Amino acid sequence: MPLDTSTYNLALLRVDGRRWNELRRLHGQIRTQAAADGSSYLEMGNTKVMCIVTGPSEDKRKTGGGSTSSASVASAPNAADVSVGVVVAGFSSVDRKKRSRSDKRIQELQATISKALAGSLHTHLFPRSTISISLNVLSQDGSLLAALINAAALALVDAGIPMTDYLVACTAGSTSSYAANDDAADPLLDLNTQEETELPGLTVATVGATDKIAVLVCESRVQVGRLEGMMAVAADGCKQVREILDEVVRQQGARMIKEGTVAKSENVGGMDLD
Amino acid sequence: MTSLKRSFETDPLSSNISSKVYVRSTKRGKVQKIVREVYLRQDIPCSSQICSICRSTAPSNAAGVVSPFVLSDKPAGTKAFPQGHYLVPDTNALLNAMDLFEQTSAFYDVIILQTVLEELRNRSLPLYNRLIGLTKSEDKRFYVFFNEFRLETYVAREQDESINDRNDRAVRRAVQWYNEHLAQTKSKQRPTVVMLTDDRSNLEKAKAEKVPASTLRNYVSGLEEADRLLDMIAESQERGVSRDKKAVDFLYPEYYSMSKMMTGIKNGMLHQGIFNVSPYNYLEGSIKVPAFPKALLVLGRDNINRAVDGDVVVVEVLPKDRWKEPSTKIIEEEAVTKNENADGDEGEDLVTEKEKRALQEEVKKTHSTSTEGHPQPTAKVVGIIKRNWRQYVGHVDQSSVSQPAKQGRKQETVFLIPMDKKVPKIRIRTRQVGELLGKRILVTIDSWDRESRYPIGHFVRSLGELESKAAETEALLLEYDVQYRPFPKTVLDCLPREGHDWKVPPSTADPGWKDREDLRGLLICSIDPVGCQDIDDALHARALPNGNFEVGVHIADVSHFVKPSNAMDTEASIRGTTVYLVDKRIDMLPMLLGTDLCSLKPYVERYAFSVIWEVNEAADIVNVRFTKSVIKSREAFSYEQAQLRIDDASQQDDLTKGMRTLLMLSKKLKQKRMDAGALSLSSPEVKVQMESETSDPIDVKTKELLDTNSLVEEFMLLANISVAGKIYEAFPQTAILRRHGAPPKTNFDELSNQLKVKRGLELRVDSSRALADSLDECVDPHDPFFNTLIRVMATRCMMSAEYFCAGTQAYPEFRHYGLASEIYTHFTSPIRRYADLVAHRQLAAAIDYEPMHPAVRSRGRLEAVCKNINVRHRNAQLAGRASIAYYVGQALKGRVAEEEGFVMKIFSNGFVVLVPRFGIESLIRLRDLAEPEPESTFDAENYTLKTSGSREVTVELFQKVVVRISDAKDEATGKRGAKMELVRTV
Ligand SMILES: [Zn+2]
Repeated sequence: MPLDTSTYNLALLRVDGRRWNELRRLHGQIRTQAAADGSSYLEMGNTKVMCIVTGPSEDKRKTGGGSTSSASVASAPNAADVSVGVVVAGFSSVDRKKRSRSDKRIQELQATISKALAGSLHTHLFPRSTISISLNVLSQDGSLLAALINAAALALVDAGIPMTDYLVACTAGSTSSYAANDDAADPLLDLNTQEETELPGLTVATVGATDKIAVLVCESRVQVGRLEGMMAVAADGCKQVREILDEVVRQQGARMIKEGTVAKSENVGGMDLD
Repeated sequence: MTSLKRSFETDPLSSNISSKVYVRSTKRGKVQKIVREVYLRQDIPCSSQICSICRSTAPSNAAGVVSPFVLSDKPAGTKAFPQGHYLVPDTNALLNAMDLFEQTSAFYDVIILQTVLEELRNRSLPLYNRLIGLTKSEDKRFYVFFNEFRLETYVAREQDESINDRNDRAVRRAVQWYNEHLAQTKSKQRPTVVMLTDDRSNLEKAKAEKVPASTLRNYVSGLEEADRLLDMIAESQERGVSRDKKAVDFLYPEYYSMSKMMTGIKNGMLHQGIFNVSPYNYLEGSIKVPAFPKALLVLGRDNINRAVDGDVVVVEVLPKDRWKEPSTKIIEEEAVTKNENADGDEGEDLVTEKEKRALQEEVKKTHSTSTEGHPQPTAKVVGIIKRNWRQYVGHVDQSSVSQPAKQGRKQETVFLIPMDKKVPKIRIRTRQVGELLGKRILVTIDSWDRESRYPIGHFVRSLGELESKAAETEALLLEYDVQYRPFPKTVLDCLPREGHDWKVPPSTADPGWKDREDLRGLLICSIDPVGCQDIDDALHARALPNGNFEVGVHIADVSHFVKPSNAMDTEASIRGTTVYLVDKRIDMLPMLLGTDLCSLKPYVERYAFSVIWEVNEAADIVNVRFTKSVIKSREAFSYEQAQLRIDDASQQDDLTKGMRTLLMLSKKLKQKRMDAGALSLSSPEVKVQMESETSDPIDVKTKELLDTNSLVEEFMLLANISVAGKIYEAFPQTAILRRHGAPPKTNFDELSNQLKVKRGLELRVDSSRALADSLDECVDPHDPFFNTLIRVMATRCMMSAEYFCAGTQAYPEFRHYGLASEIYTHFTSPIRRYADLVAHRQLAAAIDYEPMHPAVRSRGRLEAVCKNINVRHRNAQLAGRASIAYYVGQALKGRVAEEEGFVMKIFSNGFVVLVPRFGIESLIRLRDLAEPEPESTFDAENYTLKTSGSREVTVELFQKVVVRISDAKDEATGKRGAKMELVRTV
């Protein structure tokens, strides 16, 4: 059994060898499923998720009326629904427990993502239709919500759905547990599972590279005095994530131009593709 | 279709990422495979002050503070490393010789590798914690180098390589890197980095790879004070090197594998519990397991199979034909194994002839009475889940020391006889026998292997001369794990800056007065034992116009001074309680608070936490309220003074009248409690009188109980009960409460049978009420003490009360059996008990005085606090008793007294006598009766022991006897104590 998070102060190293302000390896891919309208694959450390976007498609909605397994937000009567479904594979976590779709936690994830995305997408352009986002969790190692948001953002870019800017998300924590009254606690960027279970943490999503916060979820107890530091670190993390994801998008764009899938002039407005 | 496969080469970071895969099994026996990422980096500094390379990449925390470099630029040199050296111990070196690393004379500039730290944590959490403590100490200069995260020192496990081999390789690699790294610095005096290991193959490989390495023993030999330090190296590991060569005979059965035990426990074939050794027979132990109502017996050395008192063990029940009765005989290790040779018992039979004989007699007896006797389920130990070894205090067995060793410096194996009779002799190797004889010494147990009859340990330090007051007091504190070191500076820094000049702010506008009631006008007084300095509580009572009374209990407002989770609070929560010894008090809180600022001293204003009731003439509560307050005590009485004042009819002032009201109400409260079935259980309490100047004990007196004692007690109980109700109402999950479980009926089996057989009395144990009533009936018209004796014995059948967190028990389980109260807590002594301090904070939050601090709200944390203070509380009681026993012995020194006593336990070869006058009990063995030892017949059914031959007496249970008490040194434990001889039976 390796050490736990309490050894941070010995050498300012976290359980996996990172410093307080370092992200894990972030790897993203766009257009992984050629058949889908938009798709992506994203790894944040060992958290691995896949996303497929379908739509916007004309609605056959409000027919069944029965409860759906996905969360959807209809922002206005004449706007598109953003419907989000999260499937957590049984093999994704250590205990290999199968989570049903009606699991409270999963429903909450779906609702959070759906609400956040609806805010940045131009849903009013597609009245009476649905944008459905289906997320698959293949492996979990902390910061799940952040990874899901980032994957969805990439897939939405791939699907070419108009938006003000895309969301990027990241987690932050604190090196000292809630009850320990440790004044010298450092904030931590991008938590893995072990840190998430042992330490307080929160998830932040910002709109693009701005400081505008679209999501703030905190499910653990945090001492008020540490909150500000954690938020600042998370927002800073979002900027770093944004840079990496931008690069992913740019590379995909460059590849598409090279392959001739799109003509250079037709390219998404103003994007710098060198 | 794009493939999701991603080749590692394309990832620029890939060479720096590795993963750690390991397997763990859950409590339910499931196996989980866990994969963790590891980010390898090159900016982990070597932390040597001579190094300039690492300076530029030294890490800083979020506040931008760069961690200082730890390792000295001029480390100490030895003969082998004249240029100076840094040490890199491997895991076993730390496991075997942690005490060495804690020395102040050597072992500076030590590099602890992450590999080693992780291994140590898996092997022993206490040692890991000690090591973490060392790394925090500034002067020891211990640096933790995270070698597994540094690219150059990371070592991947090779195919077919065992974990241990891989870890050894990682340690060698790190040492090698350190030496290469330091070679790059321009420094002239370059220290050598030396690996310390006792593993032979590791040493050989190090030699081949030209990595500087040494065994612990060789290294220590080159230091000053080598002799003293050499003794501290664990005996077992050195033997371990040579052992694998010769096949050895195993004396003890092998333990089952962990998985076999787990499966066994799961399907009910094996049982897990805490192993307890009988105080009268070192070869008899018992284990309480949930599956059986009565404890399982474990008899004999091979069945006990190396379990030591307190270990968590797994046992297997033996077939019914091998069940035994609990022993009726006293078997003392010292008497049976006397003069055994400490050096060579390898290859001998496990059970010595003498032990066999002692047990044989037992078996014979069991067989002869088997028709009436009741053999009990008997078990054998098949494995150990967790050792509960601590450090043990004892002295070197004189008889195990050879003559030449007393003068010379030859290394010698000797026995250490622990003070705690339940712990077996410990074998230690030492070069300083001469100095250790006649001293109290502290040792630890290192191991107990199958081929060794006794556990093997090593010397830690000497406490001083046997029987000297300083050594004995320290021994006692160590034995009961009392934290007696002075408060560290960080704790003292939490005290109010004004010191003794602190005063209640004169202006009521001061924030300190916020939400405090001004009760300075009330006639409040305190009643405590003579000379009490830490006054926790004070009282008042006054008549109300409506004919009812207002009664107030005012408790020192400690939570005002001790804020949650600061250093002082943490220290207090570890100490848990103040420990009272006869001549010494080990405080839970610094003196300034305990005896001054918090103490409700008379004539000065103090902060208090008040419970104020309105009660009617019948002492029924009309209403109750709780408030923080400011009070001014009018007088601090002793129990005697208060009694005199109440009894003196000429005193008619309001203060005295208030005290009379309190007394009147307390009597009614007591009656109500008794009616509800509260038990009055007692043990004779004694007080040692000391000569004031030399503080030598001069006399022992039984404590007198006055009405005023009971006055204070009743109102404290009332306050505790009221507070318990309030905090439970406010915090049903986290309220800190105290419960006293109803004892299982079987606990009283023996006592009730004894009463029936000897006196024709019946003990009813269906409820506390029934028990209280039947205890009242246990009287002997000729002997008033008989009732007390039975109460003392009944008390020992009880469970002990415990603190708990409300959410962990169902409401009916909250009950305090002894006090016959539905709910109870401790609130009235926050100066000397940590539980009360927690209750104060919870009550303050319950009345919205201040918000609840997270530390007091977290249930997990509170449970840990409860667990600790339960242990501390018990240890404090035991330490207090042991201290009295020691001083009673000292008070008797050079005197011989004849006193009345009562037989409270009877064995086939001796009996235990309790002497109320001194509150001591002692064993009188047959061989103490006369020389030669008289013949005896023991009638177990009738609890009668008859002797014949050299002396003829008949001793029965509960009988009154006259004994001669003198002081004597118990050769077995080295303790001075009362020795009793039977003068005559009455
Ligand atoms: Zn360096």
